Amino acid sequence: MYDDQANLRDITRRHLFGRCAIGLGSIALASLLNESAHAAEKRDMAHPLSPRPGHFPARAKNVIHLFMAGGPSQLEMFDYKPKLIELNGEQIPESFIKGKRFAFMSSFAGKERPRLLGSRRKFSRHGQSGAWVSEMMPHTAGIVDDISIVRSAATDVFNHAPAKLFMNTGSTQFGRPSMGAWVTYGIGSESRDLPGFVVLQSGPRGPRGGAVNWASGMLPSSYQGVPLRSVGDPIVDLKTPAGISELQQRDTLDAVGEMNLKRFVETGDPEIATRIAAYEMAYRMQSSAPELIDISGESKQTLKLYGAEPGKPSFANNCLLARRLVERGVRFVQLYHTDWDSHGGPGQNLEGDFEKVCRETDQAAAALVTDLKQRGLLDDTVVVWGGEFGRTPMGENRTTTGRNHHIDAFTVWMAGGGIRGGQVVGATDDFGFAPVQDRMHVHDLHATLLHQLGLDHKRLTFKFQGRDFRLTDVSGKVIGKLLA
Amino acid sequence: MVGIAQLQHRWTAALACLLASTCAARADWPTTRPTTSHWAFVAPQRPAVPALKDGGWSRNPIDYFVLDRLQSQGLSPSPEAPKATLLRRVSLDLIGLQPTPAELDAFLNDASADAYEKVVDRLLASPHYGERWGKHWLDAARYGDSNGYSIDGARSMWRYRDWVIDAINRDMPFDEFTIEQIAGDMLPNATLEQKIATGFHRNTQINQEGGIDEEQFRVEAIVDRVNTTGSVFLGLTIGCAQCHNHKFDPIAQADFYRFFAFFNSCDEPELKTPVGDQLKRESEIRYQYATLEMEKQEFEHRIAEKAAAWESTLTGAEKATLGENVRAVLSVAGDSRTKAQRDTIISAFRAASPEIRERDRKLAALKKDQAGAVTRTLVLQERREPRQTHVFIKGDFTRHGDPVTPAVPAILPQIDAPNPTRLDLARWLVDPRNPLTARVTVNRVWQHYFGLGVVETENDFGTQGSGPSNPKLLDWLATELVNRRWSRKAIHRLIVTSATYRQSSIARPQLADVDPYNRLLARQSRVRLDAEIVRDVGLQASGLLCDTVGGPSVFPSQPDGVMGLGQFKREWKTSAGPDQYRRGMYTFLWRSTPHPLLTAFDATNATASCTRRLRSNTPLQALILLNDQACLEFARAMASRVLHEAPPDDSARVDYAFRLAVTRLPEPAEKTFLLQLLNKQLNSTPQSLKKEDQSLAAWTIVARVILNLDEAITRE
Repeated sequence: MYDDQANLRDITRRHLFGRCAIGLGSIALASLLNESAHAAEKRDMAHPLSPRPGHFPARAKNVIHLFMAGGPSQLEMFDYKPKLIELNGEQIPESFIKGKRFAFMSSFAGKERPRLLGSRRKFSRHGQSGAWVSEMMPHTAGIVDDISIVRSAATDVFNHAPAKLFMNTGSTQFGRPSMGAWVTYGIGSESRDLPGFVVLQSGPRGPRGGAVNWASGMLPSSYQGVPLRSVGDPIVDLKTPAGISELQQRDTLDAVGEMNLKRFVETGDPEIATRIAAYEMAYRMQSSAPELIDISGESKQTLKLYGAEPGKPSFANNCLLARRLVERGVRFVQLYHTDWDSHGGPGQNLEGDFEKVCRETDQAAAALVTDLKQRGLLDDTVVVWGGEFGRTPMGENRTTTGRNHHIDAFTVWMAGGGIRGGQVVGATDDFGFAPVQDRMHVHDLHATLLHQLGLDHKRLTFKFQGRDFRLTDVSGKVIGKLLA
Repeated sequence: MVGIAQLQHRWTAALACLLASTCAARADWPTTRPTTSHWAFVAPQRPAVPALKDGGWSRNPIDYFVLDRLQSQGLSPSPEAPKATLLRRVSLDLIGLQPTPAELDAFLNDASADAYEKVVDRLLASPHYGERWGKHWLDAARYGDSNGYSIDGARSMWRYRDWVIDAINRDMPFDEFTIEQIAGDMLPNATLEQKIATGFHRNTQINQEGGIDEEQFRVEAIVDRVNTTGSVFLGLTIGCAQCHNHKFDPIAQADFYRFFAFFNSCDEPELKTPVGDQLKRESEIRYQYATLEMEKQEFEHRIAEKAAAWESTLTGAEKATLGENVRAVLSVAGDSRTKAQRDTIISAFRAASPEIRERDRKLAALKKDQAGAVTRTLVLQERREPRQTHVFIKGDFTRHGDPVTPAVPAILPQIDAPNPTRLDLARWLVDPRNPLTARVTVNRVWQHYFGLGVVETENDFGTQGSGPSNPKLLDWLATELVNRRWSRKAIHRLIVTSATYRQSSIARPQLADVDPYNRLLARQSRVRLDAEIVRDVGLQASGLLCDTVGGPSVFPSQPDGVMGLGQFKREWKTSAGPDQYRRGMYTFLWRSTPHPLLTAFDATNATASCTRRLRSNTPLQALILLNDQACLEFARAMASRVLHEAPPDDSARVDYAFRLAVTRLPEPAEKTFLLQLLNKQLNSTPQSLKKEDQSLAAWTIVARVILNLDEAITRE
């Protein structure tokens, strides 16, 4: 791939031969540009986001990542542990926690060994695969034959912001590119009218760390995630400002384009051609983005499937928007939903608060898979559901008993895009503390995702400060069991 | 319309040039060199200035080095840029502001031989010089106004920012500049200013999240300090040796932790840095607080008495509102009450007394005022007892390996002191025997003037770096910096007065094959302006700019909803008055929710040291320049300014508008085009509007077009 910055400049230069002629029909440059495109390079690298082939044929085209921010409790939803329930209230054996570090360490330093907390939720088996899912996720239970439930996910860090950064960038150091940035850098995006990497959010607050979660790090900022907002303009400054008519907007664009073109011809600086193209795409976004977010044209049946209501921002609306985005060729869509942080206590208890966030997400996440499948989009789209970490099998005593952050084992599910449905991958010990089979580290998840998109995680690199950086740092393996 | 035939004529040449550059192979990515003799680890020797036949082109030694390289490739330099271009270039480069129309006229009319040098001296003396070059430094220093990570609370750090601006304006020699920032607190009789300077390494993020292991994040901040020191001063990727020996450069893992040890024995306090009469104000508050507190004590001393007096005035209705336990005590005779019963009455009295409540409220308010009365800033402070540093096995701070003592990487000349401290490190960084610091520093200066450094990988002078495109030039500049007593102004002056700098930036077809990235500098480069300067151009052309230097960061307008993207939906209260029109560099930098204009135009989010900004070119930038309310406000104000300040005919107005935004007169074709645009707008605005409003609306579109030109946001 493009293994140094010089090459990136090549890409920039090649912008010229792609789309910049669009919209300048009045000038007889278009044909010249097209001809030169052939002469210059067969591969279309004209635009930083133009689609490009990966390292090998891809199984999937797009990714939708449902980021369950705060760390959902796998033990209340997917990882059924009868032994833990049986031993509820017993102290956890010393051997499990010896030498381990947890969040809020001081809260049990020097105190008695924490006690096991069995889930009070009813579990049953679902679908042909017979996967265990609790009553908290009735809709997800209905799609178990389309998804792979991975109970053995693991991460490295146990505080929210660093763990989110790690899930997104494969590093706890700031300044590294996020998954979506890597993917659009690697294979571009099919959409000509929308950004290639789009971020949506719902729930009471934005994800911790904010923009670093979808930053492009050392990659050019063309690859950074673009937040699509549910309030105000969907994209910052998308709307023509009050006082400027549509005609004036078009006049402005045409005049800027013409004068920039003149300057381009005079200076020979290809950056100007790129800017002309960027203005034209901005103009197209002005109509494509409002069209995208207007879900009122969706059938009643579809709205009902998701539980979406036009005009009322929600995770359900965002799931529906995610489908609309991949339909329009957007490569990487990330949805954040807060808040899954079930420590116990007000706003974070494992009772009503937990049920609320389950209700907010279960139906729509399942609907997304169902809807994508009905429309034939699931084959091309990997859906990933999961948080930055999971929760401890031990209770955490605040005003009510909840669970602490847990990095050794948590549950992630994946569907579509060549991921085998109807299976459970990985298993944890009797308490759900650690994987005993098929551990899937964050690096492995990244390697697998890239693999489905036709990218070799070891070859998708970017040279910076003398080193080839990659999403998976120095490890990561494709999880073969997940693949259909 | 711009003349099509004219465009197409020129197009042929441009196309040839672009095609050539596109097809050009990556010619000169270097191969790995042996490490021991790696050029960057050997101190620079002063090279002789090449003796050349230059046809009178060269203006100073820089030009001989550049020309020598060009001639070896059979190339010749470009002609000097037009005067107007040159003036805008040097103004934007030195102070980040455009020349005013008056400054442009003065320069165009000055026929003296040193007209340009006079401009350079004026700019170097401007207080805005410190802002522009300060901002470059603040990027490297990862300066921000919030704590980062998840909670991202606000912090008060602007005193450090102002220290940087001031030091650069005073041309503080770079060696002092370095020593004060790395170890100002350890200098004998350190002044307040020298302590403020140590804020350089307090620009690390602070994790305020609940449940963290404090030690983990203390260590992470030190790792950041090591990495930042390595990349900013040494151009080395020391950070690569955090978990294992460096894969490419001769830096062992132990080297990393020896370097780490210099920074492992600091405390990280907040320092009071009084501004104006803040100390007086603080002592007034303290006095008010003490007075009130004394009153309170006196009152408390006689509380039983006061409570009894209160009880005696209670009416039946009032008694009925009191709690059951209080009413029970009231029925007991005063002298037969137990202590607990007496306390019950006192508590009831406290709850009922408006006097007590009011006083407590005042005390709390005064306490808060007192805490915020004096501006604070984050600093480093060396501990009396140093901490023991260990190698962390695989970089894991919970796994201690061998103990280490402070030292610099073994491959470099060592510090000549038995138990070196952070202050020794600071002095070593700028010791002329250090082979790296001067080179790295001049190279960064150079990169801002030409778009690329002499060493393109400006933060990697190690074996994986790109190597210098002109080694002698780099070493001459590095030794020159030291010889000129580390004066940055001297180096700036030298570079911007060179013939190399003054060349035209127009691409030449014959260069495209040999030097597609313009490393050899047979011409200047066109460089898009930094995010903050993009804003400043609009502010300045519109006449709205408030050019106050320094002070607390400000909150210019921004679109709704931006602050909701982080964990906390923080308020963004747009600054009132002139503060909303301050230069872009004063925009409050929330690390997790930076201002959209800054993000879109590649400003750093200050989560890590940024020694070179990449430049993207995206539709989001176009949306902001076209549609942002602030940008429209600039266009409108600029239109109004043109209507008021220019001679009252449209041709003169177009000239004036063009000069305000791009510092040159429009070419005839451009003028005709803009006049056509103006007339179209005048004809299509509703006739119901008053004539002035029609005119303002039409000129707003013209101004908007000019402010959106690539040229407006580019240094040519």
